[in-house]
Amino acid sequence: MRRFAAALVLAALGAALAGCAVGAGAPTYSADDGKTKICMMPKLVGIPYFNATERGATDAARELKVELDYNGPTEAAAVRQVEFIQQWVQLRCDAITVAGNDPDALAPALKEAQRSGIKTGSWDADVAKDARSFFVNQATFKAIGETMTDIMAAETKRKGKFLIVTGSLTAPNTNEWIAAMRKRVKERYPKMQIASVQPGEENLQKGIDVTKSYLSANPDTAGVFGITTVALPGVAEAVRQLGLKGKVAVTGLTDPVIAKPYVDEGVIKKAVLWNPEDLGYLAVFVAKKMLDGTMPTSGAFKAGRLGDVKMIAKDEVLLGPPLVFSKQDVGKYDF
Amino acid sequence: MVRSQSLSRELVLLGVLIALIVAMTVASSLFLTTGNLLNTSRFYVEPGLIALGMTLVIVTGGIDLSVGASLALVSVVMGFAYSEGVPLWLAVILGLLTGLLCGAFNGLFVTLLDLNPLVVTLGTFALFRGLAFVISDAGAVSQFPSWFEVFGQYYVGPVPLQLFVFIAAAIAVGVLLARGRFGRYVRAIGYNPRAARFSGVPVARTTVAVYALTGLLVAVAAIIYTSRVSSARADSGLGLELDVIAAVVLGGASIRGGSGTIVGTVLGVLIIAVLRNGLFMAGVPTTWQLIVIGVVLIAAVFVNEFFRKDEV
Repeated sequence: MRRFAAALVLAALGAALAGCAVGAGAPTYSADDGKTKICMMPKLVGIPYFNATERGATDAARELKVELDYNGPTEAAAVRQVEFIQQWVQLRCDAITVAGNDPDALAPALKEAQRSGIKTGSWDADVAKDARSFFVNQATFKAIGETMTDIMAAETKRKGKFLIVTGSLTAPNTNEWIAAMRKRVKERYPKMQIASVQPGEENLQKGIDVTKSYLSANPDTAGVFGITTVALPGVAEAVRQLGLKGKVAVTGLTDPVIAKPYVDEGVIKKAVLWNPEDLGYLAVFVAKKMLDGTMPTSGAFKAGRLGDVKMIAKDEVLLGPPLVFSKQDVGKYDF
Repeated sequence: MVRSQSLSRELVLLGVLIALIVAMTVASSLFLTTGNLLNTSRFYVEPGLIALGMTLVIVTGGIDLSVGASLALVSVVMGFAYSEGVPLWLAVILGLLTGLLCGAFNGLFVTLLDLNPLVVTLGTFALFRGLAFVISDAGAVSQFPSWFEVFGQYYVGPVPLQLFVFIAAAIAVGVLLARGRFGRYVRAIGYNPRAARFSGVPVARTTVAVYALTGLLVAVAAIIYTSRVSSARADSGLGLELDVIAAVVLGGASIRGGSGTIVGTVLGVLIIAVLRNGLFMAGVPTTWQLIVIGVVLIAAVFVNEFFRKDEV
């Protein structure tokens, strides 16, 4: 009898769970109703940045009257993304657009999708060129690197030694930024010197430790760049803890919400980012235009509330110039 | 009596599986299609293969937290040996040996030094993945000759080849556990290791063999995985141990050792596969899937305890 009861409990739980999970978690639209369906994948879900891109994407989907399935892995793993793409092929998405964790690992799955008639695109982090039709670039490496360098130069009277805290030493985008920063320093600021590049490994505590030990060993440092969304708060926290606010300049790239306490306190005066909501919006917009066959290969086109956006290559769209935020406007962003 | 007991438990699991399939079919009209099911089966052959070994480990009263890390290590050893000029067939054999050694290493530490398997494999969980990162230096090997695709991307008609590998392995391990001396030894060790030793069961040898077999199954899974995603990288198999152990426990194996069946484990793997794929097809965010899997696991443990009280 108890066995029977247990069986009932388990069966009921299973059914209830399936039911409630489907009910509670379905923020998107019902499947398969003949509407155009755009499937969009971030590098991972559950962080403020990719929640913001989802908000923008949802706005665009509503305006364009398309169905949006926004989903991705809970950890930034390329293989999980491959599996999701393969499942989306089964789900008969009309277009798939991804922020890749690895340019090559995703390519076979995307090409498989192309062969079954699905349009493919990329956004935020590009994949192999032959695996997608268009890439939505949030900001050029050059613009990001130069803007960060210019902010630092203005705060340090264009001279001194500087530390860069990055994510991992192998990540392609941060390395491109560093290259752009070095080039800018060389061309414009002869008295500035980038003395060291240290990895923070996308780990807040590591970023704090690296910055603290570097600044203790090199007290003549004029400023520190934190060039990932995790590195910059780590750098700022280290400078705050060492009581160097106002003596060592801090800037870089991060989300306004994360930077806000340090901006309010004055440890960070200005920092750089693009608007992730606009990026998500544009990614869906471009996917829809791919499906309509109206994507241009040069010049510019109108993208709803964003106005004109530029093509910077025949298969690449640029969101626009980077966004610089400071104490005056840090509170107005919610990502 | 024991037989009918486990049979009824498996019937309950089968009922749950069918209930879930019905629920997912209602949630997404594209779930119950041969295309989707065969496509999805590719993702669960690897955790499934490892779950077979994990069942034996858990029946001996042990646990192996290092399976995800050893999968990454095998994949990286194989990929980087190949990219350094070792012929691929030899690299594959090297991979199999690596898996076997990883498993044997766990088994030897558990038996010879009489250490708790939870602690040993927590250590190798970090150690193996660390080694994988050192060998790969955060890089990836993505270029393999086309014959290597056979392991993970080949279809017999519409059916992925690796599904046959899994079915064969499940039958082999199932027979090993359910019939014959080795299976009796495994259960005896988990039920009461001291009593087993005094009754002449070769406890150390059997335990090492169980961990080594798990390592070998991990290596087979790693070869299929590397071929399927045509990429050898150190972050492969992150969190894999969660799905594997969840499937085994869901399948009714007692975490305290002594009981568990391969049929139960296979049903456990299928339930997790249906849950994950069905929720994805229904557009449920993956963050919610974690919550659902967690709740299902706790419910399964609860129900299993219910059964066990019945048995006394």
